[in-house]
Amino acid sequence: MSQLAPLMPHHRVNILTGTRTAKLIEDPVEYAKQITKADRPLLVLGPRLSKLTLGGRLLLEYAMDIAKAKNIPTCATATLKSKMTELGVKPDSVYDVVEIIHALKDTDWKGVRQEGNHDLVIFFGFRTDLGNQGLSVLKHFAPHLKTMTLCKYYYPHADFSLPNLRKDDEWKAFLENLIDSLGMKGGL
Amino acid sequence: MTEIKEMTKKLEEIHHKIKAEIPWEPIGHTPMPEIPDLRSWDMRLLKTYKPWYAPFCDLCCFCTYGKCDLTEDRRGACGIDIATQQARFVLLACLMGCSAHASHAGHILEVLIEKHGRNKKIDLGTSIDLEAPNIRTVLGLKPETLGDLEVAIEYVYKEIAHLLDSTHMGQEGSYLDYESKALHAGMLDHVGMEVADIAQIVGFNYPTSVAETPLVDLGWNSVDKTKPVILFVGHNPATSTVVIDYLRENNLYDKVEVCGVCCTALETSRYSDRAKVIGPFSRQLFFIRSGIADVIMTDEQCIRTDMPIEASKVGSSLIAALDKAMYGLEDVTEMDTEEIVKKMVEEKKHFAILDPKKAAEVAAKVAMAIAPQRRKEWLTEQEATKLAEKCSNCGICEQVCPNLFSIGEGIAAVAKGNFDLIREQFNLCIGCGKCEEECPRHIPIFKLMQVAASKEVWKVRAGRGPVMDTEIRNVGAPIVLGTIPGVVALVGCSNFPDIRDVAEMVDEFARRRYIVVLTGCSAMVAGMWKDAEGKTVYEKYPPDFNAGGVVNIGSCVSNSHISGAAIKIANIFAALPLRANYEVMADYVLNRVGAVGIAWGAYSQKAASIATGFNRLGVPVILGPHSSKYRRLYLSRKEEEEWKVMDARKRQIVETGEPSPEHLAYVCETKEKAMVMIPKLCIRKNDTPQGRSIKLNHYISLYKKYMGGGLPEDLPLYVRRDTDVPLVYKKEVKAFLTEIGWKPKEPVGLPTLIGTYPTKVSLDSVIR
Repeated sequence: MSQLAPLMPHHRVNILTGTRTAKLIEDPVEYAKQITKADRPLLVLGPRLSKLTLGGRLLLEYAMDIAKAKNIPTCATATLKSKMTELGVKPDSVYDVVEIIHALKDTDWKGVRQEGNHDLVIFFGFRTDLGNQGLSVLKHFAPHLKTMTLCKYYYPHADFSLPNLRKDDEWKAFLENLIDSLGMKGGL
Repeated sequence: MTEIKEMTKKLEEIHHKIKAEIPWEPIGHTPMPEIPDLRSWDMRLLKTYKPWYAPFCDLCCFCTYGKCDLTEDRRGACGIDIATQQARFVLLACLMGCSAHASHAGHILEVLIEKHGRNKKIDLGTSIDLEAPNIRTVLGLKPETLGDLEVAIEYVYKEIAHLLDSTHMGQEGSYLDYESKALHAGMLDHVGMEVADIAQIVGFNYPTSVAETPLVDLGWNSVDKTKPVILFVGHNPATSTVVIDYLRENNLYDKVEVCGVCCTALETSRYSDRAKVIGPFSRQLFFIRSGIADVIMTDEQCIRTDMPIEASKVGSSLIAALDKAMYGLEDVTEMDTEEIVKKMVEEKKHFAILDPKKAAEVAAKVAMAIAPQRRKEWLTEQEATKLAEKCSNCGICEQVCPNLFSIGEGIAAVAKGNFDLIREQFNLCIGCGKCEEECPRHIPIFKLMQVAASKEVWKVRAGRGPVMDTEIRNVGAPIVLGTIPGVVALVGCSNFPDIRDVAEMVDEFARRRYIVVLTGCSAMVAGMWKDAEGKTVYEKYPPDFNAGGVVNIGSCVSNSHISGAAIKIANIFAALPLRANYEVMADYVLNRVGAVGIAWGAYSQKAASIATGFNRLGVPVILGPHSSKYRRLYLSRKEEEEWKVMDARKRQIVETGEPSPEHLAYVCETKEKAMVMIPKLCIRKNDTPQGRSIKLNHYISLYKKYMGGGLPEDLPLYVRRDTDVPLVYKKEVKAFLTEIGWKPKEPVGLPTLIGTYPTKVSLDSVIR
């Protein structure tokens, strides 16, 4: 985390009152490096992924590409499992976001693949207020892991966040480049 | 020795206050409990349902040592850590909520004792003998008169002071103890609410011992704009009832429209079914800015703090009728009535008038004087389009929206003559006005919303107060056995992700023959939807506390009748003594009463204390997605926790492996997910095979409906034996159980937590 970054989150209800704020990363290659560095990453997917599209594709499809590129286990929250099943994908786990966060706090938890707790948790597709509050839980009570977001807004309570992206094209390009970077043979 | 003497003296005082000499029931272990008295129960709950803290900020800013950074295990200058700081905040929120209701109760009691005398009998009608289940359970007092209620409220005040004291810098250092204190505050809240509503029912002759209360007009369009209009905003009926009395006595009731926003509306409609209910708190600013109200009378709680400014903007007159919100206005309580009226009419002044009779007369006279001069027309679509053309779709409105949607997109569409989107968005609007405040083009967004707002007139059933003892006798057994699959209580405020959600939830669960009860703003919005036949849920379903019934209990303070109904089941159906016997009641409710609260639009501190009070009593609560901002949930981890209970019949501790109820305070991300969690949180260990089968039938069916098919991953945890499996899904469930290697387990005869933690309560106390 960087110290006292002056960034304002897109939704003002998420303004940081505090000392430690997310490191802003605009470069998808840098994002991919952070993901690749992790031993046991986890992709936590929210219900908005089944509602929003980017360039004619559901956001969920981007999420699934990311998961596939590095064999990252997924956790489907809310009713997202329904859409994933429809797209022929079985999530590794189904929890609500508050439940998965509750489990992630526990250093002894075995993780969704029973391989040990995760060291990087990537959030994608949540209401920003719930997302930011959830990230706050992990920031304060799960020092053993790092957090990252893929939404187009700045999340102060994450460890790594995108900036507020005004144009969806920028977001689309970021996600596509991230998928490409992750998919590079042998990783980064 | 001195300590024992003092304790005895203290107990003597308590016994004197609760009239211990009247032997209506034996006195339990905790008459008028203080902070430590139920701490063991709280700690037992918190062992399974651990606090989940989502800090709003990294700092503590409470004293001049600070600001203190609490990140990364840092402690504040006083030694506090981040978890304890969150728990302190939660306690403070619960105390604000509890105080709001207790103060309301104290005020209304004072007013009604002045009117009727201290000896006015509490009589809730022929179907209610157990008049005050919360007061009886918590204090051990059976209140017979309004004067007796003073004992209860004075007890609440005293405890609030102790609890608030503990939040001062440099005291409590354990988040668990702060949680125990928050649970104490929540329990006190239900006592305070019960005092308030019993006093109101007795003092104002509200409906009681009746299910079929009148259907009242609901919605902004129910108001006859051609008449002078008086609008009440807030929660306390001390003023609105007096206004109605004044209008009746002076033959003006036909000439003046009386309406309300928020709980005062529900209270007023219990007093007079001609009073109109405008809607929830989220429609307050919208309606005020419509200018339809000639006079706005505020009382307390959930009223906007900028009311004088808003009233002036549209030429309405404002009377602050209660001392809790005086807005810096001149207090003219002692001024001559005609002079006040003259100043309000001619000089357009707003005043505080703390004498309800004077305030009532002034309100009526001012409304009649100014109404003929005021324009009260809804904006036309043409006018709206013109206003919307100024929008540059800059997006700032979205950034400041607490419900995170872009009204700017709706306005841009209006500019093109398309009203579809803004009509949808009106259902999402929580009525804060931040968008309009920030708009760089100064577009009057709320005025523009007039073209989006439905012009329907809906119906809401007037609040009926306590659930009747006779109803409990009918449904106690099926609820405890599980054949009525649950009691679903949709309660509280109006910060809804979508205002239509509540009606959909009511319809879904009433149709499935759950008992659906409602209070407060949730009770109003449930009426703001009509089915294909044009019926609201209040017209579609019977008003009885029975399977498939939809029951409007009343305002916020009527929430105490929902906790009261749960206690009544333990006392009337299970014949467990309730007097000063909180632990036994809560243990029974937690393990055997399949009830769940849904505070889907919760925003207030009152909602925090109400929900926390339900939690201490063993009732789980589901909150809307924004509610992680309350900072704390109570969550279990179903695979990790022990789910041991005492089988009281065998007197053995058994590991059930069954997470029921799974959580105590829970945030659902979407309405659809809530639809799946509700039936699950109604499951209890006490369910009979038939009851469990019915409950699982709904759980599976709703899971399939909202999760896209398949079976719930945790279903095996809730299947004890083959007979629990619903017939309609038998084949599919059996295949699933076989696949995962499920083994049958013995159902627990009489599940209880008593005997699993240190407590003075004996196991025999929970067996009847």
